[in-house]
Amino acid sequence: MTYVTYLLSMLFVLGFLGFSSKPSPIYGGLGLIISGGVGCGIVLCFGGSFLGLMVFLIYLGGMLVVFGYTTAMATEEYPEAWSSNVVIWGVLLLGVGVELMIVLLTILYEQVEVIVEFKSLEDWMVFDVDELGLVREDSMGVAALYSYGSWLMVVAGWSLFVSIFIVIEITRGN
Amino acid sequence: MNPLTSSAIYFTLFSGTLITLFSSHWLLIWVGLEMSLLAIIPILMSKPNPRSIEAASKYFLIQATASMILMMAAIINFYNTGQWSISNTINQLSSLMLTLALSMKMGLAPFHLWVPEVTQGIPLMSGLILLTWQKIAPISIMYQIAPSINYNLIMFMALMSILLGGWGGLNQTQLRKILAYSSIAHMGWMMAIISFNPSLSILNLLIYMMLTINMFMLLYYNKKTSTLALSNSWNKSPLLTSIILMVLMSLGGLPPLTGFFPKWMIIKELVSNNNIILPTLMAIMALLNLYFYMRLIYSTSLTLFPSSNNTKIKWLFENTKITPLISAIAIASTMSLPLTPILSTLY
Repeated sequence: MTYVTYLLSMLFVLGFLGFSSKPSPIYGGLGLIISGGVGCGIVLCFGGSFLGLMVFLIYLGGMLVVFGYTTAMATEEYPEAWSSNVVIWGVLLLGVGVELMIVLLTILYEQVEVIVEFKSLEDWMVFDVDELGLVREDSMGVAALYSYGSWLMVVAGWSLFVSIFIVIEITRGN
Repeated sequence: MNPLTSSAIYFTLFSGTLITLFSSHWLLIWVGLEMSLLAIIPILMSKPNPRSIEAASKYFLIQATASMILMMAAIINFYNTGQWSISNTINQLSSLMLTLALSMKMGLAPFHLWVPEVTQGIPLMSGLILLTWQKIAPISIMYQIAPSINYNLIMFMALMSILLGGWGGLNQTQLRKILAYSSIAHMGWMMAIISFNPSLSILNLLIYMMLTINMFMLLYYNKKTSTLALSNSWNKSPLLTSIILMVLMSLGGLPPLTGFFPKWMIIKELVSNNNIILPTLMAIMALLNLYFYMRLIYSTSLTLFPSSNNTKIKWLFENTKITPLISAIAIASTMSLPLTPILSTLY
């Protein structure tokens, strides 16, 4: 099970490479879908089934769909794909090379320290620390957002509300 | 802008900074910074022309990058220490990333290049909010993490800011760019003292804000944005020329005026900590700032700029606007030096 998490995290990074090499937004959206789905898989592997499925439903099924439609409306005649020009090739090769290097280092030395210390598969293992029974951590966290964390709810709700006004003001254009 | 929209946006800007100020959880601090960033974008673009759209885009990109680095620093701090509170000493890596992120937000060298370009592209009142209100949140975070900031890094950035703020402003005739370079230099003075006495940074910020608000209001009520326009204002609004003389000299840090107080206290604090070369260099480089303020005063108040004879004989005056704030702030920003003992005990 931990090996699956490791594989998914590699795919996660490779998916990020797909859109950070800056192709046209349609292809970037594809990269986002892949890495979003894989990220959801990683959350699922840690046992957060509620939050993982939430990501699929709201992020991929709501926001990315709208993003896909808007990029389809604003598309150009010759969009820049992943093999269009030298720059994108270079970024992709650099990214894949660095990822390969880190994977090889992890296999050889069992421990890699780039920014944080990553001890190969040991970091991904989840031990059953406290047995809460029927109480699931992730869904209880979302419930806590409405009770103990109501201030964050108010702030986040207000920010989302105001961002609509802001976007309309910015794109008004007169 | 529609008054309802405009009030919602100004409320978000205000409350974003307040949320950053009173939060102890790193996530809420980041939320407050993002709220004020999001809310100021339509304010920067309140007169939509390509120049202001470009300025707003530059501002957004740089501040969003800085917010992301701040978020990463908070997460690395959580990974290493297991808690989100700001009141604990943070580890070296997070402290480094936080210093860099916050100096990008404040416009400290070497991340200062966006300040003149963004300030020049936006209307005067938006520039006021950008240079005064948007500095409160990053400096408050710096105040709270001050014990953990790497001393060499912050001193280097402060010295660079004073230098580049002074040098950059020497060749400018546009008033908004002059005020932007003045902001960079003042941020440098504020960050120079933050490792020794963070309260002096806040005091410097308050006095700087008062002076900058004064300058922007004077320029706004007379609609002047360049040195040429300012130099023709001696017969349209003689009050402007007199007050600008005092305020600019106060900004430059000349002794009998309020602007001398922060520089004096900072130099005193640095010398008390056996740091002599640095305040000498800082005081010398503050002269660069003073030079371009004096050049403005020269063409505005002290001499008659070359103009045609028609403008010298003016018989029709514009409506005199009632400006109660300028009189109060002008006195506070030029004559508060005798209050030094009280101001030192305020924090």
